[in-house]
Amino acid sequence: MTPVNAAEAWRDGIRRVFKAPAIVAGVWLVTTAISLPLALSLRTELMNHLGASLAATSAAQGVNYEWMQEFADQATGLGTTFRPTIIGFGAVLDNLSAFMDAVPRPVLVIGAAGVYIAAWLFLAGGIIDRYARDRATRAHGFFSASGGFFFRFVRLAIVMGVVYGLMFGYLHPWLFDRVYTRLIRNVNVERTAFMIRAGLYLVFGLCLAAVNVIFDYAKVRTVVEDRRSAFGALAAALHFVRRNAGAAIGVYALNVALFALTIAVYAVLAPRAGGSGWMMWVGFAIGQMYVLGRLCVKLIFWASETSLFQSRLAHAGYLATPAPIWPDSPTAEALRPASPNS
Amino acid sequence: MRLLHFSMMTLWSLAAAASAHAEAGGTIDPALSPRNASYIIDAKLDITSRTITGSEVILWRNITTKPATELQFHLYWNAWRDDHSTWLRETKLGSRRTVPMVRPDERARIDVTSLGVRGNARADLTTVMRFIAPDDGNADDRTVLAARLPQPVAPGASLTIELTWTAHVPRTFARTGVIGNYFFIAQWFPKLGVLQDEGWNCHQFHSGTEFFSDYGSYDVRMTVPARWVLGATGVERERHDNANGTTTHRYYQDDVHDFVWTTSPDYVERRARFEHASLPPVDMRLLIQPEHTSQIARHFEATRAALKYYGEWYGAYPYGHITIIDPAYQSGAGGMEYPTLFTAGTRWLAPDHVDDPEDVAVHEAGHQFFYGIVGSNEFEDAWMDEGINTFSEARVMGTWASPTYVSQRYFGGFIPYVFKDIIADREIVWNRFAGYRRNPKGDPQSMTSFRYYPATGGVITYNKTALWLNTMERWLGWPTVQKTMSTYFSRWKFRHPKPQDFFDTASEVSGRDLTGYFDQVYRSSNVFDYGIQELRSDKDGDRYRTLVVARRYGEAIFPIDVRVTFTEGRKVVEHWDGKDRWHLYTYDFPQRAVTAQADPDHVLLLDVNLTNNSRALTPLDKFGPKAATKWSLKWMVWLQDCLLTWSVFV
Repeated sequence: MTPVNAAEAWRDGIRRVFKAPAIVAGVWLVTTAISLPLALSLRTELMNHLGASLAATSAAQGVNYEWMQEFADQATGLGTTFRPTIIGFGAVLDNLSAFMDAVPRPVLVIGAAGVYIAAWLFLAGGIIDRYARDRATRAHGFFSASGGFFFRFVRLAIVMGVVYGLMFGYLHPWLFDRVYTRLIRNVNVERTAFMIRAGLYLVFGLCLAAVNVIFDYAKVRTVVEDRRSAFGALAAALHFVRRNAGAAIGVYALNVALFALTIAVYAVLAPRAGGSGWMMWVGFAIGQMYVLGRLCVKLIFWASETSLFQSRLAHAGYLATPAPIWPDSPTAEALRPASPNS
Repeated sequence: MRLLHFSMMTLWSLAAAASAHAEAGGTIDPALSPRNASYIIDAKLDITSRTITGSEVILWRNITTKPATELQFHLYWNAWRDDHSTWLRETKLGSRRTVPMVRPDERARIDVTSLGVRGNARADLTTVMRFIAPDDGNADDRTVLAARLPQPVAPGASLTIELTWTAHVPRTFARTGVIGNYFFIAQWFPKLGVLQDEGWNCHQFHSGTEFFSDYGSYDVRMTVPARWVLGATGVERERHDNANGTTTHRYYQDDVHDFVWTTSPDYVERRARFEHASLPPVDMRLLIQPEHTSQIARHFEATRAALKYYGEWYGAYPYGHITIIDPAYQSGAGGMEYPTLFTAGTRWLAPDHVDDPEDVAVHEAGHQFFYGIVGSNEFEDAWMDEGINTFSEARVMGTWASPTYVSQRYFGGFIPYVFKDIIADREIVWNRFAGYRRNPKGDPQSMTSFRYYPATGGVITYNKTALWLNTMERWLGWPTVQKTMSTYFSRWKFRHPKPQDFFDTASEVSGRDLTGYFDQVYRSSNVFDYGIQELRSDKDGDRYRTLVVARRYGEAIFPIDVRVTFTEGRKVVEHWDGKDRWHLYTYDFPQRAVTAQADPDHVLLLDVNLTNNSRALTPLDKFGPKAATKWSLKWMVWLQDCLLTWSVFV
């Protein structure tokens, strides 16, 4: 098979993701399942605070900014995040900004994020396996792969945790608290300070991307080559990326561009506060379309990287691990026709 | 010697000014103020060593009824000389500010090298100078210098004081200092305190409060590098290029109580004029940063708005010129008032219809009236300028700048995003209600301002005053409050009013004794919180038995209305003096009650919990779940996005 270039791998990744809509639906369900209980909990808090107050009327019909502030000021935990920034595209800016500036979040949100990451860790094996096979694996095959690779990914996650921890615990403060502060110390033009900060975002983002791409290929090689050692997979990923730097960076850059495009589209379409009637549900639906878009982008990262790896070091559809065979259930045994000797 | 000759000539001209006609160039005739502390200053800035070498002559007159036996001077820059000053100790106590991280050579200092007086006889007081700490006894604080006079200065008598000094310009502290080639020079010269019948009012420099001084005429020469742009209090009268590559600028202004200047080669200068049918014209000079030139019109328009509305509501701006300074990034000089000059403050990315630069420009321009013209004591009664001005600024913004939207900044504070769903209203946003609600009990406002707890002093000074003045406006009506303010302004301009002067004016103009109100809002830190505790409307035969319990949850007392609405549009408004802890209202009507509201017109803007002010029965009580659903769905999308952002880690 001729090795594909970055664009071809990327297009193939998109194709593989859209060929498996159940995975998109599944990760959306997981995302929703983790966020919904917290949203319901917040709803209860909001309802208790509003009670039968007339403040609810304006809060339902538009934005009651005074009530919003009053609630957030009196709230603890989740409620402290209930601020105007949750409205429309402000939510995206808030999260991206908090991520790039390493702004701490409330414990409950961090807890939810931890559960979410663990869920992805579990699903990653099944998802990459599905994209690598490029054919339906059905639920039993999917979960068999998920379960099979989970503990390998947990070991990988420990390494990832250490590396990302170092990045956010040491590199980020060094860049933004020390280097940035030193660089702008005598700057009296804001535009210059912004350029410096943007440059540091770029540096940090590139470091993050470099680490991210290695970990992505480590996951891909773990699944495709049925690797057991996390360190072995990381070394192999490093080796692959070094030997195929142009294509690997190209695929990653195309995915980053797709991510930016998704954000840009949502910037235009993001719903405003609106009322509490059917427009509320339209706004929520647009929000969920955006979430689906973001999820697709994340999956396309993995699918396109899988495609690239398979085209460069294997052949399309190559997997060292055999197709998982799910054993019959006891029910199947009971339903099987009895043999004449039984 | 040159200074002495120059100062004698100027003193003669200052004395002669009283009988001359009004003229341009900072001269005002007849005098608007007592002019009992006039300064002639000659200052040279060395940008390499960041040093100012200065000499000054003060023509001072004792306008009290007691003889003066000593002199007291503010040496503000010594507040940043070392960590032991009162200013830095207080700043560390407050969480609102951070102490600037500076190297030893970036600290400030001001050293008086000579002090002498010329009255009936000449005397050198250099050897008897000493530092005092009248507020806290901090022996390490060097912000007040005292010197015993060889002989008392009798009431009405004058004294000529001569000083020389050197000062090191700091990296910015408290809106003063240098960053790169941007110099903002404020509170920079040895300055007399205010002698009152009770003695010298010359406080140490505190982190949470500002300044207080007597009115006079300022004639100031500043020597800076040639071709650097200079802005200062007053009007430029002369400019002279020196052989050593410097230029000396001479600025002059009558009837002001401070002098500030700034210089930088980067300023872009623009001029415009304020004109109004019934107010005197004002020449506006804007010194703006090159990266903000797209906002020139916004600065002028905001200044025009302040001059127009303050002028129409309170009284005319008398100086005929004003200088607007757009400070450099990180200079920390933004948002500050000085006589005939103020610093605004904006950002490189500043979308239209958000708060700044308009809000800060209106606020600081407004200080020309409350601070500049009405010279209250900012050390002791900071609310009298900051609070009254915040109230007025909010009124201007609510009148002139609507709609303005709430915005938020992201990515290190550089990228703004405008929430067009949220219009900044006067009552909540411009009056800074949220800040007050978070810290309503910091201190009673009547406490001496510099003794406020540093972290919450601003809230008590700015926010609370704006809220209680706006409450007065909603309670007594704007005509009454406007007349109160204009009477107070006209009665106390170019003088030093105290809080009781304002309260007396308010009671006199409104025709009612407002002592009880001021006891609640000014002399107490109690919190207002009224609400509807209970609303029931039960069918009893062919009528409905309605029961409403209005409750005072807070300690503070204010008379409020309680409005109960019934089906078929029937409404009942009760007037409750608000004194008891609760009050029961019962009705026996054929109509069923729908809502009950405490303070339905939101007169009491200091009420810290507005959600409990009302209760609704079916069908209006259904809005609670609807609103909760709507907002929790929005929040859920935010959370999903948050989770997705974090999922980069896997």
